[in-house]
Amino acid sequence: MIIQLKLYGSSELLSTKGVLSFNLPKNSKIKNLRSSLMNLIVKKKLKNNLGSLPEAAAFSNMKDEIVSDNYRLKNKELLSIIPPIAGG
Amino acid sequence: MKIHTSLLDSKKKKISLKKAKNFIYSKSNGAESIFVGRVRNNNKGKKVKAVTYAAHKRLVMKSFTKICNEAKKKFDKKAKIFLEHATNYVPVGGISIIIAVGSGHRDEAYKISKYILEKVKHRSPIWKKEHYVKGEFKWLSGHSLRGKKR
Repeated sequence: MIIQLKLYGSSELLSTKGVLSFNLPKNSKIKNLRSSLMNLIVKKKLKNNLGSLPEAAAFSNMKDEIVSDNYRLKNKELLSIIPPIAGG
Repeated sequence: MKIHTSLLDSKKKKISLKKAKNFIYSKSNGAESIFVGRVRNNNKGKKVKAVTYAAHKRLVMKSFTKICNEAKKKFDKKAKIFLEHATNYVPVGGISIIIAVGSGHRDEAYKISKYILEKVKHRSPIWKKEHYVKGEFKWLSGHSLRGKKR
């Protein structure tokens, strides 16, 4: 199934398009998305900049809720990645 | 209306101190506290020329409203609160955030202001990209929202 991830903050280093697409097995959860994200970071040789991102990031769904690691992803779902924040 | 919250795109509009002062003014308030956050020209030994602020707008607006309401409930239900944060490119000296509070007494005004600033830093999805004088940039690391209830 396809999951789209809207990029914010440091995760924008992963793509200039602002959105990433992941092809994940059916019934995948957020923890699977974290693993795929890490694979992409390694592939793009961004581990020095983004190595801690998959573990530190939160994810929000279309209802603007931060979802847990056990959240079951739906095909064609659009999520946002929320890297550690630094406003103010 | 006793709470005003906003994210302002610095390319289109500047945060206005005057607007903040006007909003919180009330004859029933004996205290006004105005906190202004600005982009400074240095960070950890590096010369900074600007900061780009990025935000998840819907989540930020939701968090701003919730934080301001919590502050009122906790310290002064009658307080007037003005909270604006800049997004996009803000050069050194530019205003990144204003928290203005009008309250019956000084103690509550200070406490509300501090409460809002600390909570925004820990709960509102805003990110900083620092631009350095030498041309490079860096996304700053901060507080993880993983496992946090909003």
